Amino acid sequence: MTQTIDNQPATGLAPQQSQAELLERQLRAEVKHLHHFSNRGLWAFSLYIVVCLMAWRGFPMLPLPDRVVAALGPPPPAHVISIVLLFYTFSAIILSLSRMTAGIEHKSSFCHVGYLTGFFLFYHFAKALDDNFWAVFGAGVTILAVESYRIWSFCRDALSRKTEQLEFIQRTGRVPPEDE
Amino acid sequence: MFKTLAGRALVPVGIAVTGFVIVCFLLLYSVIKNVVNRDTVGYATNLADTILKSTRYAMLKSDREMLATMIQNIGQQKGVEHIRVFNKKGIVHLSTRPEELNRQVDKKAEGCIGCHAGAIPSASLGRMEQARIFTNGEGREVLAVMAPIYNEPECFNAPCHIHPPAQKVLGTLDIGLSREMLLNSLASIRNQMIVFTVMILVLTVGGVTALLRRSVFLPLQKLRRLAEQVEAGEHPEAHPSHFPRELDRIAQSLYNLSQKDYSAAGDPAAIDKGTVPKDS
Repeated sequence: MTQTIDNQPATGLAPQQSQAELLERQLRAEVKHLHHFSNRGLWAFSLYIVVCLMAWRGFPMLPLPDRVVAALGPPPPAHVISIVLLFYTFSAIILSLSRMTAGIEHKSSFCHVGYLTGFFLFYHFAKALDDNFWAVFGAGVTILAVESYRIWSFCRDALSRKTEQLEFIQRTGRVPPEDE
Repeated sequence: MFKTLAGRALVPVGIAVTGFVIVCFLLLYSVIKNVVNRDTVGYATNLADTILKSTRYAMLKSDREMLATMIQNIGQQKGVEHIRVFNKKGIVHLSTRPEELNRQVDKKAEGCIGCHAGAIPSASLGRMEQARIFTNGEGREVLAVMAPIYNEPECFNAPCHIHPPAQKVLGTLDIGLSREMLLNSLASIRNQMIVFTVMILVLTVGGVTALLRRSVFLPLQKLRRLAEQVEAGEHPEAHPSHFPRELDRIAQSLYNLSQKDYSAAGDPAAIDKGTVPKDS
Protein backbone atom coordinates (compact mmCIF):
# COMPACT_ATOMS: atom_id res chain seq x y z
CA MET A 1 0.00 0.00 0.00
CA THR A 2 1.29 3.46 -0.88
CA GLN A 3 1.72 5.77 2.11
CA THR A 4 0.53 9.34 1.71
CA ILE A 5 1.50 12.42 3.69
CA ASP A 6 -0.55 15.61 3.49
CA ASN A 7 -2.53 14.10 0.59
CA GLN A 8 0.63 13.98 -1.53
CA PRO A 9 1.28 10.64 -3.23
CA ALA A 10 4.48 9.12 -1.97
CA THR A 11 7.05 8.07 -4.45
CA GLY A 12 6.75 4.34 -4.59
CA LEU A 13 10.52 4.14 -4.63
CA ALA A 14 11.09 5.96 -1.30
CA PRO A 15 12.16 3.56 1.39
CA GLN A 16 10.03 2.98 4.50
CA GLN A 17 12.76 4.51 6.65
CA SER A 18 12.68 7.93 4.94
CA GLN A 19 8.88 7.99 5.06
CA ALA A 20 9.03 7.38 8.79
CA GLU A 21 11.57 10.17 9.23
CA LEU A 22 9.40 12.52 7.20
CA LEU A 23 6.35 11.60 9.27
CA GLU A 24 8.32 12.02 12.48
CA ARG A 25 9.34 15.56 11.49
CA GLN A 26 5.75 16.33 10.56
CA LEU A 27 4.48 14.92 13.85
CA ARG A 28 7.00 16.97 15.83
CA ALA A 29 5.83 20.13 14.02
CA GLU A 30 2.20 19.23 14.75
CA VAL A 31 2.97 18.63 18.42
CA LYS A 32 4.64 22.03 18.61
CA HIS A 33 1.65 23.64 16.91
CA LEU A 34 -0.78 21.89 19.27
CA HIS A 35 1.18 23.03 22.34
CA HIS A 36 1.04 26.57 20.99
CA PHE A 37 -2.65 26.29 20.05
CA SER A 38 -3.72 24.91 23.45
CA ASN A 39 -2.85 28.28 25.05
CA ARG A 40 -5.07 30.19 22.65
CA GLY A 41 -8.02 30.21 25.05
CA LEU A 42 -5.87 31.67 27.83
CA TRP A 43 -4.55 34.43 25.58
CA ALA A 44 -8.10 35.31 24.56
CA PHE A 45 -9.12 35.30 28.22
CA SER A 46 -6.26 37.66 29.11
CA LEU A 47 -7.22 40.05 26.32
CA TYR A 48 -10.82 39.94 27.52
CA ILE A 49 -9.77 40.87 31.07
CA VAL A 50 -7.93 43.92 29.65
CA VAL A 51 -11.10 44.93 27.75
CA CYS A 52 -13.14 44.45 30.96
CA LEU A 53 -10.78 46.70 32.90
CA MET A 54 -11.16 49.42 30.28
CA ALA A 55 -14.95 49.00 30.34
CA TRP A 56 -14.94 49.14 34.15
CA ARG A 57 -13.16 52.51 33.93
CA GLY A 58 -15.69 53.73 31.33
CA PHE A 59 -13.42 53.53 28.26
CA PRO A 60 -11.34 56.64 29.13
CA MET A 61 -9.59 56.59 25.74
CA LEU A 62 -12.86 56.93 23.81
CA PRO A 63 -14.79 60.16 23.18
CA LEU A 64 -17.76 60.85 25.46
CA PRO A 65 -20.98 58.97 24.60
CA ASP A 66 -22.83 62.23 23.83
CA ARG A 67 -20.30 63.16 21.14
CA VAL A 68 -20.45 59.69 19.57
CA VAL A 69 -24.26 59.73 19.66
CA ALA A 70 -24.26 63.18 18.04
CA ALA A 71 -22.00 61.87 15.26
CA LEU A 72 -23.45 58.40 14.69
CA GLY A 73 -27.02 58.67 15.96
CA PRO A 74 -28.62 57.07 19.01
CA PRO A 75 -27.62 53.51 19.99
CA PRO A 76 -30.25 50.78 20.41
CA PRO A 77 -32.08 50.86 23.77
CA ALA A 78 -30.43 48.95 26.61
CA HIS A 79 -33.16 46.30 26.77
CA VAL A 80 -32.67 45.47 23.07
CA ILE A 81 -28.90 45.11 23.63
CA SER A 82 -29.67 42.82 26.60
CA ILE A 83 -31.93 40.58 24.48
CA VAL A 84 -29.23 40.33 21.79
CA LEU A 85 -26.62 39.56 24.49
CA LEU A 86 -28.80 36.76 25.86
CA PHE A 87 -29.26 35.16 22.41
CA TYR A 88 -25.57 35.59 21.62
CA THR A 89 -24.53 33.88 24.88
CA PHE A 90 -26.93 31.01 24.29
CA SER A 91 -25.80 30.54 20.65
CA ALA A 92 -22.10 30.78 21.49
CA ILE A 93 -22.36 28.15 24.25
CA ILE A 94 -24.40 25.78 22.04
CA LEU A 95 -21.94 26.27 19.15
CA SER A 96 -18.96 25.64 21.40
CA LEU A 97 -20.50 22.49 22.93
CA SER A 98 -21.40 21.24 19.44
CA ARG A 99 -17.81 21.74 18.26
CA MET A 100 -16.61 19.96 21.39
CA THR A 101 -18.90 17.03 20.62
CA ALA A 102 -17.83 16.86 16.98
CA GLY A 103 -14.12 17.32 17.83
CA ILE A 104 -13.69 20.18 15.38
CA GLU A 105 -10.58 22.34 15.52
CA HIS A 106 -11.93 25.89 15.35
CA LYS A 107 -9.96 29.01 16.28
CA SER A 108 -12.82 31.17 17.50
CA SER A 109 -11.78 32.54 20.90
CA PHE A 110 -10.52 35.94 19.76
CA CYS A 111 -13.61 36.73 17.71
CA HIS A 112 -15.70 36.27 20.89
CA VAL A 113 -13.53 38.92 22.57
CA GLY A 114 -14.44 41.21 19.66
CA TYR A 115 -18.18 40.53 19.99
CA LEU A 116 -18.08 41.08 23.76
CA THR A 117 -16.17 44.36 23.29
CA GLY A 118 -18.98 45.38 20.92
CA PHE A 119 -21.55 44.74 23.67
CA PHE A 120 -19.51 46.79 26.15
CA LEU A 121 -19.33 49.66 23.64
CA PHE A 122 -23.05 49.55 22.83
CA TYR A 123 -23.94 49.65 26.53
CA HIS A 124 -21.40 52.44 27.06
CA PHE A 125 -22.88 54.61 24.32
CA ALA A 126 -26.42 53.80 25.54
CA LYS A 127 -25.26 54.98 29.02
CA ALA A 128 -26.30 51.64 30.49
CA LEU A 129 -22.89 50.09 31.15
CA ASP A 130 -23.09 50.57 34.93
CA ASP A 131 -26.23 48.43 35.12
CA ASN A 132 -25.09 45.77 32.67
CA PHE A 133 -21.32 45.47 33.15
CA TRP A 134 -21.54 42.28 35.23
CA ALA A 135 -23.93 40.64 32.77
CA VAL A 136 -21.46 41.13 29.88
CA PHE A 137 -18.57 40.11 32.12
CA GLY A 138 -20.39 36.92 33.16
CA ALA A 139 -21.33 36.13 29.56
CA GLY A 140 -17.72 36.59 28.46
CA VAL A 141 -16.27 34.49 31.25
CA THR A 142 -18.74 31.67 30.50
CA ILE A 143 -18.21 31.68 26.73
CA LEU A 144 -14.43 31.97 26.94
CA ALA A 145 -14.21 29.32 29.66
CA VAL A 146 -16.19 26.83 27.57
CA GLU A 147 -14.14 27.76 24.48
CA SER A 148 -10.85 27.46 26.36
CA TYR A 149 -11.88 24.06 27.68
CA ARG A 150 -12.91 22.95 24.17
CA ILE A 151 -9.59 24.03 22.64
CA TRP A 152 -7.58 22.59 25.52
CA SER A 153 -9.35 19.21 25.47
CA PHE A 154 -9.07 19.04 21.66
CA CYS A 155 -5.34 19.73 21.87
CA ARG A 156 -4.85 17.26 24.72
CA ASP A 157 -6.54 14.44 22.76
CA ALA A 158 -4.64 15.29 19.58
CA LEU A 159 -1.35 15.55 21.49
CA SER A 160 -1.89 12.16 23.07
CA ARG A 161 -2.47 10.60 19.62
CA LYS A 162 0.54 12.31 18.09
CA THR A 163 2.78 11.35 21.01
CA GLU A 164 1.73 7.71 20.66
CA GLN A 165 2.51 7.82 16.93
CA LEU A 166 5.91 9.42 17.63
CA GLU A 167 6.74 6.74 20.18
CA PHE A 168 5.71 4.05 17.70
CA ILE A 169 8.04 5.49 15.05
CA GLN A 170 10.93 5.80 17.51
CA ARG A 171 10.37 2.26 18.79
CA THR A 172 9.88 0.46 15.49
CA GLY A 173 11.27 2.82 12.85
CA ARG A 174 8.11 2.19 10.82
CA VAL A 175 5.11 4.35 9.90
CA PRO A 176 2.33 3.76 12.47
CA PRO A 177 -0.89 2.14 11.29
CA GLU A 178 -3.69 4.54 10.41
CA ASP A 179 -6.43 5.08 13.02
CA GLU A 180 -9.96 4.26 12.02
CA MET B 1 -10.13 15.60 37.40
CA PHE B 2 -10.04 16.00 33.61
CA LYS B 3 -8.70 12.47 33.11
CA THR B 4 -11.91 10.83 34.28
CA LEU B 5 -14.98 10.51 32.14
CA ALA B 6 -17.05 12.23 34.83
CA GLY B 7 -14.74 15.27 34.81
CA ARG B 8 -14.74 15.51 31.04
CA ALA B 9 -18.50 15.21 30.80
CA LEU B 10 -19.52 17.40 33.72
CA VAL B 11 -17.05 20.30 33.67
CA PRO B 12 -18.18 21.91 30.37
CA VAL B 13 -21.86 21.33 31.19
CA GLY B 14 -21.38 22.80 34.66
CA ILE B 15 -19.57 25.88 33.36
CA ALA B 16 -22.08 26.47 30.55
CA VAL B 17 -25.22 26.04 32.67
CA THR B 18 -23.87 28.01 35.65
CA GLY B 19 -22.61 30.88 33.48
CA PHE B 20 -25.77 31.12 31.41
CA VAL B 21 -28.08 31.10 34.45
CA ILE B 22 -25.97 33.82 36.13
CA VAL B 23 -26.04 35.97 32.96
CA CYS B 24 -29.84 35.54 32.76
CA PHE B 25 -30.14 36.51 36.43
CA LEU B 26 -28.01 39.66 35.96
CA LEU B 27 -29.90 40.76 32.84
CA LEU B 28 -33.28 40.09 34.43
CA TYR B 29 -32.31 42.01 37.56
CA SER B 30 -31.10 44.93 35.43
CA VAL B 31 -34.41 44.98 33.52
CA ILE B 32 -36.45 44.82 36.76
CA LYS B 33 -34.35 47.63 38.26
CA ASN B 34 -34.95 49.83 35.20
CA VAL B 35 -38.69 49.15 35.26
CA VAL B 36 -38.95 49.93 38.98
CA ASN B 37 -36.86 53.12 38.53
CA ARG B 38 -39.03 54.25 35.60
CA ASP B 39 -42.22 53.62 37.57
CA THR B 40 -40.82 55.55 40.54
CA VAL B 41 -39.95 58.50 38.29
CA GLY B 42 -43.49 58.34 36.88
CA TYR B 43 -44.91 58.34 40.40
CA ALA B 44 -42.72 61.30 41.42
CA THR B 45 -43.70 63.25 38.29
CA ASN B 46 -47.38 62.61 38.99
CA LEU B 47 -46.92 63.74 42.57
CA ALA B 48 -45.22 66.94 41.34
CA ASP B 49 -48.12 67.58 38.93
CA THR B 50 -50.59 66.98 41.77
CA ILE B 51 -48.78 69.51 43.96
CA LEU B 52 -48.75 72.06 41.13
CA LYS B 53 -52.46 71.59 40.48
CA SER B 54 -53.25 71.80 44.22
CA THR B 55 -51.25 74.98 44.68
CA ARG B 56 -52.35 76.60 41.43
CA TYR B 57 -55.13 78.69 42.99
CA ALA B 58 -52.91 79.86 45.84
CA MET B 59 -50.22 80.86 43.31
CA LEU B 60 -52.78 82.68 41.19
CA LYS B 61 -53.94 84.59 44.24
CA SER B 62 -50.29 85.05 45.31
CA ASP B 63 -51.26 83.68 48.74
CA ARG B 64 -47.78 82.99 50.02
CA GLU B 65 -48.90 81.87 53.47
CA MET B 66 -51.27 79.24 52.10
CA LEU B 67 -48.62 78.08 49.63
CA ALA B 68 -46.00 77.70 52.35
CA THR B 69 -48.45 75.76 54.56
CA MET B 70 -49.39 73.41 51.75
CA ILE B 71 -45.75 72.79 50.83
CA GLN B 72 -44.86 72.18 54.50
CA ASN B 73 -47.76 69.74 54.94
CA ILE B 74 -46.89 67.75 51.83
CA GLY B 75 -43.23 67.78 52.85
CA GLN B 76 -44.09 66.07 56.14
CA GLN B 77 -45.44 63.06 54.26
CA LYS B 78 -43.37 59.90 54.73
CA GLY B 79 -40.79 59.43 52.01
CA VAL B 80 -40.77 63.09 50.87
CA GLU B 81 -37.26 64.47 51.42
CA HIS B 82 -37.76 68.02 50.13
CA ILE B 83 -40.04 70.27 48.12
CA ARG B 84 -38.75 73.53 46.64
CA VAL B 85 -40.30 76.12 44.38
CA PHE B 86 -37.83 78.16 42.34
CA ASN B 87 -38.64 81.37 40.56
CA LYS B 88 -37.45 82.21 37.06
CA LYS B 89 -34.03 83.41 38.33
CA GLY B 90 -33.37 80.16 40.18
CA ILE B 91 -33.97 81.62 43.65
CA VAL B 92 -35.68 79.33 46.16
CA HIS B 93 -39.08 80.93 46.68
CA LEU B 94 -40.63 78.25 48.89
CA SER B 95 -39.09 75.22 50.57
CA THR B 96 -39.77 72.63 53.23
CA ARG B 97 -36.35 73.62 54.64
CA PRO B 98 -36.38 77.22 55.85
CA GLU B 99 -32.58 77.59 55.60
CA GLU B 100 -32.80 77.22 51.80
CA LEU B 101 -35.17 80.19 51.30
CA ASN B 102 -33.94 83.03 49.05
CA ARG B 103 -30.84 81.11 48.00
CA GLN B 104 -29.89 80.87 44.36
CA VAL B 105 -28.97 77.58 42.75
CA ASP B 106 -26.27 77.09 40.14
CA LYS B 107 -27.86 76.57 36.73
CA LYS B 108 -25.04 74.21 35.83
CA ALA B 109 -25.90 71.93 38.76
CA GLU B 110 -27.37 68.49 38.10
CA GLY B 111 -31.11 68.82 37.73
CA CYS B 112 -30.82 72.31 36.18
CA ILE B 113 -28.38 71.59 33.35
CA GLY B 114 -31.02 69.47 31.55
CA CYS B 115 -32.91 72.65 30.58
CA HIS B 116 -30.11 75.21 30.94
CA ALA B 117 -27.49 73.45 28.79
CA GLY B 118 -27.89 75.87 25.86
CA ALA B 119 -28.11 79.66 25.60
CA ILE B 120 -31.92 79.47 25.51
CA PRO B 121 -33.30 77.18 28.22
CA SER B 122 -35.52 74.34 27.10
CA ALA B 123 -39.17 74.70 28.11
CA SER B 124 -39.96 70.99 28.18
CA LEU B 125 -38.14 67.75 29.01
CA GLY B 126 -38.99 64.04 28.89
CA ARG B 127 -39.98 62.30 32.11
CA MET B 128 -36.66 60.52 32.64
CA GLU B 129 -34.67 63.69 31.86
CA GLN B 130 -36.56 65.55 34.61
CA ALA B 131 -35.30 63.06 37.21
CA ARG B 132 -31.96 62.87 39.00
CA ILE B 133 -30.57 60.65 41.75
CA PHE B 134 -28.18 61.90 44.41
CA THR B 135 -27.20 61.39 48.04
CA ASN B 136 -28.37 64.24 50.26
CA GLY B 137 -26.57 65.78 53.24
CA GLU B 138 -28.10 63.23 55.59
CA GLY B 139 -26.58 60.39 53.56
CA ARG B 140 -29.88 59.21 52.08
CA GLU B 141 -30.33 58.42 48.39
CA VAL B 142 -32.90 60.74 46.87
CA LEU B 143 -34.79 60.67 43.58
CA ALA B 144 -35.66 64.25 42.65
CA VAL B 145 -37.93 65.48 39.88
CA MET B 146 -38.13 68.98 38.42
CA ALA B 147 -41.53 70.07 37.12
CA PRO B 148 -41.80 73.42 35.29
CA ILE B 149 -44.52 75.89 36.31
CA TYR B 150 -45.83 77.16 32.99
CA ASN B 151 -47.24 80.61 32.32
CA GLU B 152 -50.99 80.51 31.60
CA PRO B 153 -53.50 83.17 30.48
CA GLU B 154 -54.85 83.37 34.04
CA CYS B 155 -51.33 84.23 35.23
CA PHE B 156 -50.40 87.03 32.85
CA ASN B 157 -53.97 88.45 32.75
CA ALA B 158 -54.30 88.63 36.52
CA PRO B 159 -54.22 92.25 37.78
CA CYS B 160 -51.79 91.49 40.58
CA HIS B 161 -49.19 89.75 38.38
CA ILE B 162 -46.41 91.12 36.26
CA HIS B 163 -45.48 88.09 34.13
CA PRO B 164 -45.27 89.02 30.46
CA PRO B 165 -47.22 86.72 28.10
CA ALA B 166 -44.02 85.80 26.23
CA GLN B 167 -42.51 84.21 29.35
CA LYS B 168 -43.15 80.49 28.99
CA VAL B 169 -41.88 79.19 32.34
CA LEU B 170 -42.52 81.05 35.60
CA GLY B 171 -40.47 78.78 37.81
CA THR B 172 -39.97 75.15 38.76
CA LEU B 173 -41.10 72.78 41.44
CA ASP B 174 -38.42 70.41 42.73
CA ILE B 175 -39.58 67.40 44.72
CA GLY B 176 -37.21 64.85 46.25
CA LEU B 177 -38.38 61.39 47.32
CA SER B 178 -36.40 58.97 49.45
CA ARG B 179 -35.20 55.89 47.59
CA GLU B 180 -34.97 53.87 50.79
CA MET B 181 -38.14 51.85 50.18
CA LEU B 182 -37.24 51.34 46.53
CA LEU B 183 -33.75 50.10 47.42
CA ASN B 184 -35.20 47.77 50.06
CA SER B 185 -37.64 46.33 47.51
CA LEU B 186 -34.83 45.88 44.98
CA ALA B 187 -32.65 44.17 47.60
CA SER B 188 -35.54 41.84 48.45
CA ILE B 189 -36.08 41.00 44.76
CA ARG B 190 -32.33 40.45 44.33
CA ASN B 191 -32.11 38.09 47.30
CA GLN B 192 -35.11 36.09 46.12
CA MET B 193 -33.61 35.84 42.64
CA ILE B 194 -30.25 34.69 44.05
CA VAL B 195 -31.99 31.92 46.03
CA PHE B 196 -34.02 30.98 42.95
CA THR B 197 -30.88 30.93 40.75
CA VAL B 198 -28.94 28.79 43.23
CA MET B 199 -31.87 26.34 43.38
CA ILE B 200 -32.00 26.11 39.57
CA LEU B 201 -28.24 25.56 39.43
CA VAL B 202 -28.28 22.86 42.08
CA LEU B 203 -31.22 21.11 40.41
CA THR B 204 -29.74 21.29 36.91
CA VAL B 205 -26.11 20.43 37.65
CA GLY B 206 -27.09 17.97 40.39
CA GLY B 207 -29.71 16.33 38.16
CA VAL B 208 -27.31 15.94 35.24
CA THR B 209 -24.61 14.58 37.58
CA ALA B 210 -26.99 12.10 39.22
CA LEU B 211 -28.38 10.84 35.90
CA LEU B 212 -24.93 10.49 34.34
CA ARG B 213 -23.66 8.66 37.40
CA ARG B 214 -26.63 6.30 37.46
CA SER B 215 -26.77 5.62 33.72
CA VAL B 216 -23.14 5.85 32.60
CA PHE B 217 -20.47 6.02 35.27
CA LEU B 218 -21.67 3.19 37.55
CA PRO B 219 -22.17 0.70 34.66
CA LEU B 220 -18.73 1.71 33.34
CA GLN B 221 -17.19 1.03 36.75
CA LYS B 222 -18.86 -2.41 36.78
CA LEU B 223 -17.57 -3.07 33.30
CA ARG B 224 -14.07 -2.04 34.34
CA ARG B 225 -14.19 -4.41 37.33
CA LEU B 226 -15.35 -7.21 35.00
CA ALA B 227 -12.51 -6.48 32.56
CA GLU B 228 -9.99 -6.48 35.41
CA GLN B 229 -11.31 -9.85 36.62
CA VAL B 230 -11.02 -11.32 33.13
CA GLU B 231 -7.55 -9.88 32.71
CA ALA B 232 -6.46 -11.37 36.02
CA GLY B 233 -7.82 -14.79 34.95
CA GLU B 234 -10.54 -14.81 37.60
CA HIS B 235 -13.89 -16.38 36.94
CA PRO B 236 -16.75 -13.87 37.33
CA GLU B 237 -19.11 -15.06 40.01
CA ALA B 238 -22.33 -14.20 38.20
CA HIS B 239 -23.63 -13.19 34.81
CA PRO B 240 -23.12 -9.48 34.28
CA SER B 241 -26.54 -7.86 34.28
CA HIS B 242 -28.30 -4.48 34.48
CA PHE B 243 -26.06 -2.90 31.85
CA PRO B 244 -27.39 -0.36 29.36
CA ARG B 245 -27.83 -1.83 25.87
CA GLU B 246 -24.66 -0.18 24.53
CA LEU B 247 -22.49 -1.73 27.24
CA ASP B 248 -24.32 -5.06 27.46
CA ARG B 249 -22.62 -6.45 24.35
CA ILE B 250 -19.17 -5.65 25.75
CA ALA B 251 -20.07 -7.24 29.09
CA GLN B 252 -21.29 -10.40 27.30
CA SER B 253 -18.09 -10.61 25.27
CA LEU B 254 -15.94 -10.24 28.38
CA TYR B 255 -17.96 -12.87 30.23
CA ASN B 256 -17.79 -15.34 27.33
CA LEU B 257 -14.05 -14.70 27.06
CA SER B 258 -13.59 -15.51 30.74
CA GLN B 259 -15.63 -18.72 30.26
CA LYS B 260 -13.36 -19.79 27.37
CA ASP B 261 -10.25 -19.06 29.42
CA TYR B 262 -11.65 -21.10 32.28
CA SER B 263 -12.51 -23.94 29.92
CA ALA B 264 -8.99 -23.90 28.47
CA ALA B 265 -7.61 -24.02 31.99
CA GLY B 266 -9.36 -27.42 32.47
CA ASP B 267 -12.35 -26.76 34.67
CA PRO B 268 -15.25 -27.89 32.46
CA ALA B 269 -17.65 -28.06 35.37
CA ALA B 270 -17.54 -24.33 35.69
CA ILE B 271 -18.38 -23.74 32.05
CA ASP B 272 -21.70 -22.20 31.40
CA LYS B 273 -22.49 -22.95 27.78
CA GLY B 274 -25.22 -20.38 27.42
CA THR B 275 -24.68 -16.71 26.82
CA VAL B 276 -25.44 -14.01 29.30
CA PRO B 277 -29.14 -13.27 29.50
CA LYS B 278 -29.94 -9.88 28.05
CA ASP B 279 -31.51 -7.20 30.10
CA SER B 280 -34.94 -6.31 28.91
